[in-house]
Amino acid sequence: MSIDTGRQASRSVEQATPPWALAVKRNGSTFGLLSLALVLAMAFSAINPDSYATLLNVESIAFSIPEVGLMALAISVAMTIAGIDLSTVAVANLTAIFIAWYSRVGVEQGQGQLTATLIAVAGGLLIGVLCGLLNGLVIAKLKVAPILTTLATMQIFTGVAVAITRGEAAYGVTDPLSSFGYNSLLGVPIVFWLFGVVVVAVWLLMTKTKYGVSSTMMGASRTAAEYSGIAYTWVVTRTYVLAGLISAVAGLVLVSRTASASAGYGSSYLMLAITIAVLGGANPFGGRVAVVGAALAAIVLQLIASGLNMMGVSTYIYQIVQGLILVGVFVVAFERKRVSEAISRRRRRANAQTSQTNQQKEHQK
Amino acid sequence: MKAYTRRSRGARLRVHEIWDRYKGENHETALLLLILALLGVMAIVEPSALTMTFVGDIIRSGIVTLALALGLLLVIISGGMDVSFPAIAIFSGYATITVMNFFGVDGALWPFLLASIMGIALGSLNALFVARYRMETLIASLGTQVIIRGVLLAFIGSVYISTLPAQLDAIGASSIMRLGNSPVNILVLPVIALAFLVSWMLRKTMFGRSIYAIGGDRESARRVGIRVPSVQVRIYLIAGALAGFAGMVHVVLSRHASPFELVGTELNVIAAVVIGGALDSGGRGSVKGTVYGVLLISLVQNSLVRLGVSSYWHVLVVGVVVLVGVAIQAQASSREAKTTRILESTEASA
Repeated sequence: MSIDTGRQASRSVEQATPPWALAVKRNGSTFGLLSLALVLAMAFSAINPDSYATLLNVESIAFSIPEVGLMALAISVAMTIAGIDLSTVAVANLTAIFIAWYSRVGVEQGQGQLTATLIAVAGGLLIGVLCGLLNGLVIAKLKVAPILTTLATMQIFTGVAVAITRGEAAYGVTDPLSSFGYNSLLGVPIVFWLFGVVVVAVWLLMTKTKYGVSSTMMGASRTAAEYSGIAYTWVVTRTYVLAGLISAVAGLVLVSRTASASAGYGSSYLMLAITIAVLGGANPFGGRVAVVGAALAAIVLQLIASGLNMMGVSTYIYQIVQGLILVGVFVVAFERKRVSEAISRRRRRANAQTSQTNQQKEHQK
Repeated sequence: MKAYTRRSRGARLRVHEIWDRYKGENHETALLLLILALLGVMAIVEPSALTMTFVGDIIRSGIVTLALALGLLLVIISGGMDVSFPAIAIFSGYATITVMNFFGVDGALWPFLLASIMGIALGSLNALFVARYRMETLIASLGTQVIIRGVLLAFIGSVYISTLPAQLDAIGASSIMRLGNSPVNILVLPVIALAFLVSWMLRKTMFGRSIYAIGGDRESARRVGIRVPSVQVRIYLIAGALAGFAGMVHVVLSRHASPFELVGTELNVIAAVVIGGALDSGGRGSVKGTVYGVLLISLVQNSLVRLGVSSYWHVLVVGVVVLVGVAIQAQASSREAKTTRILESTEASA
């Protein structure tokens, strides 16, 4: 119903407004996020002109975005089919641990740096796919709710990581990986390039392919999708495999950047990633693709993190801010919908009254 | 040949009928059998571990989990999910101790009441977001979890308080009886009383039945005249009160107050409730099942220690137990959903 009214509204707007305004209207949340990012950047620059708006800080923000941005993307993809992936941080850590471990073992066994790197990365991505496959099959075949499944597998993946590392951190990566994690290309960190490539690839996958459309429909209404011949198991499994793969890429980024990995790394990332996904426009009830939004929201959140950090605000306050943003997104959306509904109701009533009085007048004639 | 099949089918039917009669509304019997089987394995592998001390340890470690689980049970039956209860619990427990130390007052009963009231206040946040703004319950409680924890650590305190006020410490040290070397604390009694109270409320009151109705189908519940938002508000306030009380129980039992505890144990409590037969899609669940679920989780954890399994494996094992338990419940309920009740009854009469 809401889609219908939205389309009607845009159609009526189409006749009067120029094309650029239409583009803004259609991608409201994207433009909203972009302008939010700009406002934040300017505000923090005004507060800390000497340190915030420097090339060094911009670069450090760009380095910090990909990890959590990719995790948010994984959650956003799962939310498209009305699911959620709480295991994303655990999968990333498991991948990172494998890559760090194989970097050492591979080189020790006399493999070249490049061979060891390729095997480590391939193995890491395979781990992500397998973890996602487990999630997808349990959800689709055993019909366990996504929240419970991924909550349990989060524990399982973390448990595997703790068991193989004995709770300690694994250090060191191959030379190609560390230069991948540290260097920049054309002034932009290589990891950020990778993030951009993944975002574009996932966006194409979710909007331009049969699978993407199927999963969006599945999220909007499972019954309707199944009646129109979309295989539930297939779509769900693919979606969680995709989420697992994206999480594994996040693990690759984090191990290249920090040159270490541990089972307990980034435990506060889960909450941040969900906040980003929701701020980016993903709907926990499904049916909405928000890939670009997730990327922009990741930028917004990191701008805030960096700004608060420079103002010397404690991490606890930053957590409060995250929580407030998360619930604030819903509260604002709810109030906006309520107000616009109230306005349209009043307008409809006014229209009905005028037409009624017109009719009465005609009657009197 | 024909006679044989018929007889075997008859036998199977009889087994089925007996199972149907005793399996319990939420497969509690299956859970009890699983607990007994685990005990059996323990008896074979490590018979020396099965002592009264072991029982005492299980009760001791399960009592806080049960107190936390009772509030969560209400939320899950109503079709929601809550991850903020550990934050509410530790906030209430820690803040109460901080208040007592700040004013230099002591007491035995009123601190529990104060903690519960704090729990209600914090639970009202969940109530606001879920009932008023119709937020997805998991997302809402994730938000309140970090907000509550952030406020606790940023404004109330982030230091470890090693000694409690004297009267509370005395409660922590008291015991009503000893099981082997493990004393059973007096706080077991109020928690058990609360379990009975919640059970009675769920089965016998209009409010309790409304919770099931909302969890079963929100729209149907609304149409038969249940005020859904009002019931939801009460659910989250009661869950908050229970969490606040549980937090105080945790603080008193551990005989110190640390703001970093409890948060992170969500999964164990959620697992206990869900394995106990409460589906997260709502409309099912019982206190009895939850008690069994808590026992199972507590038993697994304590058995691992007793069997000398390295602590590095605990997270993994508990995770696997949770996944298997949850999967069994989901399978059982989806099988039940396929066989409609009406067909079953005509079959029986035919």
